[in-house]
Amino acid sequence: MAERKSIEETKTALHDVVREMYDRIVKGEPPTMTLPVRTKNNIGFDPKLGVYKYGKKQTIRDATSLGSAKQLLRALHVIEFIESMIDDGKSSTLREMYYISEGWGLGKFQSQNESNNLAEDLEIVTRCLREDFKLRPEEDGARMIGNLTLRERNRRGEWMRINARDDVGDSGYGVPYNVEAEKIEFLEHDINFIMAIETGGMFDRLVENGFDEDFNCALLHLKGQPARSTRRIMKRMSEEWDLPVVVFLDGDPWSFRIFASIAYGAIKTAHISEYLATPTSTYLGITADDILAYDLPSDDLSKKDIEALNAELSDPRFADGWWQEQINMMLEVGKKAEQQSLAKYGLDFVTETYLPEKLQQLGL
Amino acid sequence: MAANQKQVAISEFFEKNKHFLGFDTLNRALITAVKEAVDNALDACEEARILPDIVVKITKLDNKKDILQLEVEDNGPGIPRASIEKVFGQLLFGSRFHAIRQSRGQQGIGITGVVMYSQLTTGDPTHVESKIAKEATAVSVDIGLDTRKNKAIKSNQDRIDWGEKAHGLKVKTKMKAKYQRGRQSVWQYLRMTSIVNPHADILFIDPDGEKHHWQRVTERLPGRVEAIKPHPNGIELGQLQRLCSESSESRMTKFLRRTFSGVSQRAAKQLCEVSEIEEKLKPKSLTPQQVRALLEAFQGERLLDEKPVKLLNPPTSCLSPIEELLIKKGLSKTIDSKFVTTMTRAPSVTQGNPFQVEVGLIFGDGMAADKPVEILRFANRVPLMYQQGGCLLTKAIESVDWRQYGLDQAGGRGVPKGPAAILVHLASTNVQFTSEAKEALSDNETVMEEARKAMLEMGRGLRKHLEKQKKMGKTKEKFELINDIIPAIAEKSAALLELPVPDLAGSITKIMSAVIAETTTTWNKETKQTDVHITLYNYTARARSYTILVNWPERQGATMVGNELGGRKEAMGVWAWKLETLQPGSRTVITYSLDGLEKGDWNETDVFYRGSQEVIGATKMDEKLLEEIRRQEEALNAPPPDEDIDEEGADESPEPEAVKPEPVATAGDTKQTTLFGGDY
Repeated sequence: MAERKSIEETKTALHDVVREMYDRIVKGEPPTMTLPVRTKNNIGFDPKLGVYKYGKKQTIRDATSLGSAKQLLRALHVIEFIESMIDDGKSSTLREMYYISEGWGLGKFQSQNESNNLAEDLEIVTRCLREDFKLRPEEDGARMIGNLTLRERNRRGEWMRINARDDVGDSGYGVPYNVEAEKIEFLEHDINFIMAIETGGMFDRLVENGFDEDFNCALLHLKGQPARSTRRIMKRMSEEWDLPVVVFLDGDPWSFRIFASIAYGAIKTAHISEYLATPTSTYLGITADDILAYDLPSDDLSKKDIEALNAELSDPRFADGWWQEQINMMLEVGKKAEQQSLAKYGLDFVTETYLPEKLQQLGL
Repeated sequence: MAANQKQVAISEFFEKNKHFLGFDTLNRALITAVKEAVDNALDACEEARILPDIVVKITKLDNKKDILQLEVEDNGPGIPRASIEKVFGQLLFGSRFHAIRQSRGQQGIGITGVVMYSQLTTGDPTHVESKIAKEATAVSVDIGLDTRKNKAIKSNQDRIDWGEKAHGLKVKTKMKAKYQRGRQSVWQYLRMTSIVNPHADILFIDPDGEKHHWQRVTERLPGRVEAIKPHPNGIELGQLQRLCSESSESRMTKFLRRTFSGVSQRAAKQLCEVSEIEEKLKPKSLTPQQVRALLEAFQGERLLDEKPVKLLNPPTSCLSPIEELLIKKGLSKTIDSKFVTTMTRAPSVTQGNPFQVEVGLIFGDGMAADKPVEILRFANRVPLMYQQGGCLLTKAIESVDWRQYGLDQAGGRGVPKGPAAILVHLASTNVQFTSEAKEALSDNETVMEEARKAMLEMGRGLRKHLEKQKKMGKTKEKFELINDIIPAIAEKSAALLELPVPDLAGSITKIMSAVIAETTTTWNKETKQTDVHITLYNYTARARSYTILVNWPERQGATMVGNELGGRKEAMGVWAWKLETLQPGSRTVITYSLDGLEKGDWNETDVFYRGSQEVIGATKMDEKLLEEIRRQEEALNAPPPDEDIDEEGADESPEPEAVKPEPVATAGDTKQTTLFGGDY
């Protein structure tokens, strides 16, 4: 299980990566780096953790092609950089690291995607978290509104008590990139469940209609594919307060993936699924049958949508009967619908009719 | 009187129809004017065997009213004083409209059109200065037009001193026109002109005063083109009637043989027979019915023993192709890219008109990779700039599936995309256009087929080049890997672990596990030689021995110098070195230089090997192919067979077939292409 490592543990884990390369050269072989295959073909359900994790398939990145040799060299530069940050007590964003790599000559990154992926590769191989590497994302986390109180340690190191309903404006409480215990502690709450919402428009609609108070819940804006910190805070709240999470998204193949990453773990971060995923979360809508049942304004599925749905049919995370049914139904109907298409029946329809009906089905 | 009236009609015709004579928009009017003047200059220089120096200058006179001044100056033979008013003041003047040969001037209404347009839009005459070699001074005169009488109005005639300049022509005219940049511009017209006229030096000064100079890249003038007699297959009724009525021949057979090309004594008799005309009849006395019958015989509609009368092809000496080497030079000087492949097809004939298709393709970095390729169309060395889509030459490009040759093309049809420009040149005695605007060639199956074949052959050259590039790219990558990346990994990992840097030899041999040849061919500015370096590395665990072979432009007159390893000649243009055994981890270098070439003549060297282990960066020598080259060489060195010499008008001797037979793609030919590509 991925958990926070000590400085020494982190350094040793990183040195093991270096050692693999060095030893191969000494043996007169091309240097290598061994890591798990990071595709849907190599994720499997871990019944102990209740989430999807990488399986046993491994890929050996060896320096026989220019591309992978450069990857190895970059990994060495990143390791050197991480060590120096650990030693100097500094941290940097992934983007900063990307720019710093400008000075790495042959080992410099061609795109930020490359540097992000490599940071993940190292997390996976070393079983450390990027927080251990002193690397943080520049993406901001979600925003949240609801009657719950937490305390956050601010820049000056002081704890601030914040109620996410009374102490915040209309945009809610901003979730920081670090939501670990050293930064955030949950104090008390008067809510029955957490509702995660895909779009800002819908989040604002529910806030304006006072849905959080009427239904005693916390509203969380995911901002599309949720950042790690967003998934992590959901996980912590759900676990520590024993609250159910319901997920309210658009009704399209991409939303299904968002849900899978929240509930079962994302393929890209399957090495830390148990740390990020909330297995108890439920998909509320928009479901494929909602499109028919509520006669929602819809768009035809694009070629890419259909490809995505077909890919999901063979994704182990969607192997469950209900999901197979939903995906097949969407393929059959050939339609997708946005959350905000509910506005067809007026601005209050979502809070007065749709959500109450759906929540009742879930017994909330 | 009748003739006069006809001319009046021509002048007024222009005024009413300037739109399809190339003066329809303000931008196009300027291009047309430049085109008329420059085409005349090039034609005149070519006839007088002078290497043309042409200066084109455009100045803005009145911005608001779009009035420009165009000056074109050449070093041609000049026009005698007495002819100036005819050349500049009368539409359709000049001998070339009747002669059957390839010429630029066929394509325009003539410089008189420019004088007329200038006068219609500004009211001013055109200023002309002309000096011929045998006169001490130049004539200076202003030419205006009486558009009703189709006559020039001369004014301010004078003689002026031109100093050193021995001969030439200077035209200065004002007109309502707009100067624009881009694909349809004076700049593009001159740029294209310079590509297909590599013997010309063209200087263009644009309205901003910026100078664009396209330098001469060859001292060789285009071949002298001869006028040929019309061929029966290309004759129309009116023309035949005129030829008959104007003939002073005494007998039909003589008339047929002497007036037309491709008609032998026997064919003349047979033509008379099938058209039921007595051989001894005078052509002048033919009735309209008989003329028609003769035309039917010409066109193969009257049969002899169920076959049309057999006629010989017309001679092709009337054509002047640019030829591959000069196309290559023309393209290279204008577009800064590395790879050029060209193809000049053998002359062919359609409807009695000889024609020849030439194509060229330049590929490389200087051009946009995601845009459609630039199409450079030419007819008789004149750029075609409008109506690209409707042109036969464009259709020929579009009909090829360029994907197989390495260019992008949606669905394998249409104009391909990629960093390339494709040149197509049609040389013909009778260029058929889709309209009077003379910007697009009309459909013709025979020409299309020739153009297509030329493209395919050129495409193969491109594919070969790209494959080679790819191979070289891979080799380069491997070297970067072992020379830079692996040592960096070793050093960095050692430093992080605080251990000594390990020895790399083992890793490198494992990674490469190959013998690699690295070849560079570069132009040496100082020595004016082309330097070739071939380095052979053995990155395998065993000792290896090889013979390395290269191609080199021996036939083009190059000599090999500084070749310290010696070696021996294997065949014409193929050199070989038997190398000493190469130990694991070691290398051998072959260097030599090629003398007697110009920059850009030889950019790539093909390397071959004999030996058991594959060499990356070289091709295994095909011994059969080498045999074939030797055989071809022997055939070339054998004394040539006696050739029939064409005796113009020799009375009873049969006219020899002047058209070269279509080159048949023999096995040897195809293989030769694989060895040397379409490069040289």
